[in-house]
Amino acid sequence: MGFDEQNFTIIDHTADLGLRVRGETLEFLFENSVQAMLNVMVKAQALQPTETAPIRLDGRDLEDLLVRWLGEVLYWFQGEKKVTIHARILSLSPKHLEANLHTVPYDPTQHEILCEIKAVTYHQVKINHGPDDVWEAKIIFDV
Amino acid sequence: MDIQLEKLDSCRWVIPKTGQMRVPGLIFSNEYLLKDVQKDQSLVQVCNVATMPGIVGYSLAMPDMHWGYGFPIGGVAAFDIEDGIISPGGVGYDINCGCRLMTTSLLAADITDLMRHLVSELFNNIPTGLGSRSSVRLSKKDQDRVAVEGAAWAVKNGYGEPGDLDRTEDRGTMERADPTVVSERARKRGIDQLGTLGSGNHFLEIQVVDTIYDSQKARTFGLFKGQVTIFIHSGSRGYGHQICDDFLKEMGNKIPFDSLQLPDRQLICAPISSDLGRRYISGMACAANYAWANRQLLMHSTKEVFLRTLGITPRELNMHLLYDVCHNIAKREEHMVNNKKKTLYIHRKGATRSFPPGHPLLPEAYRSTGQPVLIPGDMGTYSYVLAGAEAAMRHSFGSSCHGAGRVLSRSKAIRMSKGRSIHRELKDKGILVQFRGKNTLKEEMPDAYKDVSQVVGVVHEAGLATKVARLRPLGVIKG
Repeated sequence: MGFDEQNFTIIDHTADLGLRVRGETLEFLFENSVQAMLNVMVKAQALQPTETAPIRLDGRDLEDLLVRWLGEVLYWFQGEKKVTIHARILSLSPKHLEANLHTVPYDPTQHEILCEIKAVTYHQVKINHGPDDVWEAKIIFDV
Repeated sequence: MDIQLEKLDSCRWVIPKTGQMRVPGLIFSNEYLLKDVQKDQSLVQVCNVATMPGIVGYSLAMPDMHWGYGFPIGGVAAFDIEDGIISPGGVGYDINCGCRLMTTSLLAADITDLMRHLVSELFNNIPTGLGSRSSVRLSKKDQDRVAVEGAAWAVKNGYGEPGDLDRTEDRGTMERADPTVVSERARKRGIDQLGTLGSGNHFLEIQVVDTIYDSQKARTFGLFKGQVTIFIHSGSRGYGHQICDDFLKEMGNKIPFDSLQLPDRQLICAPISSDLGRRYISGMACAANYAWANRQLLMHSTKEVFLRTLGITPRELNMHLLYDVCHNIAKREEHMVNNKKKTLYIHRKGATRSFPPGHPLLPEAYRSTGQPVLIPGDMGTYSYVLAGAEAAMRHSFGSSCHGAGRVLSRSKAIRMSKGRSIHRELKDKGILVQFRGKNTLKEEMPDAYKDVSQVVGVVHEAGLATKVARLRPLGVIKG
């Protein structure tokens, strides 16, 4: 399932921001989660990525891995000033992830900031594999 | 989850200890505010916090309580330093998010014609919003000095006066800061953000003192009716956010979550007496100090804009810091527990310290009045100045609310604002706003917040702090 805006919905959360994301496979779920988060954060012109950042992460379980993964993408934006155009999962197991982030440098003339996400939280984070064989994740962000 | 509330009196409700809760919950609220409280998951969060190891007394919630992540916003919890824990989630990502209020000698009536220009100049000169960068670029060495010295570093480098430190909690310098525990990522995020306002619910607001409730305390605070005041709400920026995130991850790596038997991963914590706990405390102190330095620089920038725009002298402006308070922090404090003096770490997650008259940690200027407690409303309504009172020490570990508290989610606020011009609505009320983020005004619109006068009313009635003055907004800048 390629990314489109039907792959995620915004959850009403009083103080912060929640997202429910879907994907046909776990890999797509993780990739779609990145796109959903960026969709909420920044409006970017459709651009060709100019750089690639390899990512390797370990976690306790899938939920932990998801929070760390999105946290990584967020750091690349907040800390390294790189906007991820798309993310590609290379390998994914319950405790390990390898991926590439395809990015462009942040440019205020090209990228309109919609919402400042301060962090990806562990609050109510959940990954489910539904009876329709679709993977679904719930994530809450601090804004 | 159906949570039972037992009414203690008109402003206090108890959640009895059940299941895994180690202590009961204690909610400060009233019948009117409780209706919204019961619509979100904040009561569940009060119960969740009550399960944390070493918690003392109650899991508390202030009247601005609402659903947060882990702790409720408006949550207060005390942990014994001997056998208790320290929780990064109980402090928040924006470590030492807080407020400061400045007084001036100006009358609002005298600057009405210049208000638009003043707001515009503040907006153009104070870095605001995501991606904004400071004109102050710190070397690594300087960043470490800021992490250790906090507001004192800022004063030493010409941003403010020594007297400002007397009027800041902890004198703007938290002990036990150790920059060696701060990651490269946190340093990188913070290197060009000192002196920036931030976005979301952060703001800088020009106000007029609208009402005086306690003339004696107002006089001591330097407040008078018709006076121009300035409120700043900001925190530790990306530096603090990253420090919190780093320690949450490290605790996640080193502490098997199942062993803690906590209902929410965001509540992960470490014993205060452990190496990891001590290192988090050191990191938190670095971020707290960064935030105090940040607000010191923001105040300095504000003063410069006022002087230049109004073409007046510093003596004519007479801008002074009334007080600076934290509302996301864990503080090491002494409190009476069952008639014994105990040293505790008080976690205030969207709550303000509220020390009463005579408290030894208060500056000399405020020993007779109690601590100034600064409560910002939403941008369309009043803010309040209160004074800390004795009942806070008896009932809430010296704590009070921190703001109005949200009642609508951001997405709901955006939906409800469709077809409305929030900017125009505020202008019709005489409030000028300049902002950067496309959705900022809609997300932060007055309807998204509780009635701050109700929130402050509960605090006053419960004796946690008493009303001193009410401030009305005239101009606001937001990220």
